[in-house]
Amino acid sequence: MGLMVLFVLLGILLVAGVPVAISLAVSSLAYIVIAGLPEVVLIHNMINGIDSFPLLAIPFFILAGHLMNTAGITTRIFAFARAFVGWMHGGLGHVNISASVIFAGMSGAAVADAGGLGNVEIKAMRDAGYDTDFSVGITAASSTIGPIIPPSLPLVIFGVMASASIGELFAAGLIPGLLMAVSLMVMVAFNARRRGYPRDSMFDPCRLWTTFKDAFLPLLTPIIVVGGIVTGAFTPTEAAVAAVAYALFLGLAVYRSLNWRHLVRVSMDTIETSAAILMIVAAATIFAWILTANQVATLLGDALLDLTDNRYFLLLIIMAIVLLIGMFMETIAAITVLVPVLSPIAAKAGIDPVHLGILVILNLMIGLLTPPVGMVLYVLSDVAGVPFERCVRATMPFLAPLLVVLLLIAFFPQLALWLPSAVYR
Amino acid sequence: MNGDPGIGDARPAAVDLENMSDDISDIRLHDIPALTVFVALLIIVGLQFFTRYVLNDSLGWTEEIARYLLILLGFIGSVICVRKDTHISLKFLYRYLPKPSIKPLAVFVDALVTGFFAYAGLLAIELAERTSAQMMVSIRIPKGVIYYTVVGACFAMALFAALRLLRTLRSPPDLVAARKFETSS
Repeated sequence: MGLMVLFVLLGILLVAGVPVAISLAVSSLAYIVIAGLPEVVLIHNMINGIDSFPLLAIPFFILAGHLMNTAGITTRIFAFARAFVGWMHGGLGHVNISASVIFAGMSGAAVADAGGLGNVEIKAMRDAGYDTDFSVGITAASSTIGPIIPPSLPLVIFGVMASASIGELFAAGLIPGLLMAVSLMVMVAFNARRRGYPRDSMFDPCRLWTTFKDAFLPLLTPIIVVGGIVTGAFTPTEAAVAAVAYALFLGLAVYRSLNWRHLVRVSMDTIETSAAILMIVAAATIFAWILTANQVATLLGDALLDLTDNRYFLLLIIMAIVLLIGMFMETIAAITVLVPVLSPIAAKAGIDPVHLGILVILNLMIGLLTPPVGMVLYVLSDVAGVPFERCVRATMPFLAPLLVVLLLIAFFPQLALWLPSAVYR
Repeated sequence: MNGDPGIGDARPAAVDLENMSDDISDIRLHDIPALTVFVALLIIVGLQFFTRYVLNDSLGWTEEIARYLLILLGFIGSVICVRKDTHISLKFLYRYLPKPSIKPLAVFVDALVTGFFAYAGLLAIELAERTSAQMMVSIRIPKGVIYYTVVGACFAMALFAALRLLRTLRSPPDLVAARKFETSS
């Protein structure tokens, strides 16, 4: 009875547009009252939910991402990517993907990538004579690489909720992220030949060298951050601190593009974004506590395992559920609601938590590209000045390569697990 | 466009890539506590990083204090989210609802947020009183400092939510609907 109220109320409040954190907290509170528990466990669990060292990575990665968006750094990386792959057929499509991969190694959120870099990419592609649909589609699809390649905010949240190693999750994301880039590039190459998209002038080693020299210092960021995490030299939180320190060094000492007003602005934006995420994590802690106490995952897991004991079929069912939730819910909220249910089921079925993490996040990223709650599509419809419905249609074809990568990783766990097992185990 | 694409026919991008805002006009005096906690967090975690990697001797108390500051950042920062209505929420229903029904729903949401944070503040007082004797592990500061700050943040959120509720009640339905779309993302 209490659990019914919990789920039904949560669904109603979320759809009604009540902030996710408050929907989680209020429906949990309703359960606590019905179950006759002391109400003070609500606020106690919320506070304890934030009291976690790995979560410290969140404000630092957000701050680093904001600082990296400073004047100078974006331009340099875009110019380098253009000299590197712009000469190919559909060159700017490849530039778009490569720039997203480089930025993925600096920042950790897809929606922010679509808003910042996406703005630049779409303008550049339109100026060069690409049609809007193709520009929007490839920008939307490539922005989802961000949270798969480390650093990644969704992976931090997954790690905290599932008690999985965030270092291993980060290492596990690298190869799947690069696979996504390759699959999208294949798609671009295919389309570019058929539709005759423009290309830049012939490959010019001199220009590549000049732009490389210009972009050298910013290009070190992903190497410091991803390299530091993947080799185990940095914990994720330390990598985030290193990224902030390096971004400050570039902005204050090297390019001198930051002044105190920028710093205040960036700090305020970081506080707002971090607090919004932290409150969801806090409220999800009480929600997860209720689900665990009631063994919801165990019961659901037994039901699923009765249905099938084939691990791959089970994975497909889990992914279908995640994809469905991802279509309707914002990423962080979806992770906090799904993980307490899914991770015990996965553990029972012998699915590695790190493997599950990559699959869940990749699934939720695909959810960002689908209506009705495709956050990336809303952002791009705003950035490109194109109606939401047209963004949906433009992005649809690009879902195919991403789904192929998702299935590859589901059926070949080593694609995700090889790197972390080589480094950490 | 069909046929063999010409080499070099892609014009260079004429875009302004400098998208960094330094506009701080929306920052208010009551944002100072959040900013202070944030700067303290930066300094403490930076200090921990420095002592571990440069001095090879990490300071023990930094981790505990950093976690407490993160709690404060979550709750005090959340006050700003309530004031600016930037807490993450799903707004897709508003796209499909007839305009006149948006205002009652907005009133309901604002009222629920107000009520919740007021109640959460009361619960936090209870928690603070129960744990008032506890001290932090690494330094001699009572943990109650954290809990009472959470109390303050919850009541501040209830206050700002109540102000938003009043504004929603007083606004004509069209304006309420327009505001919902303005912040939808």
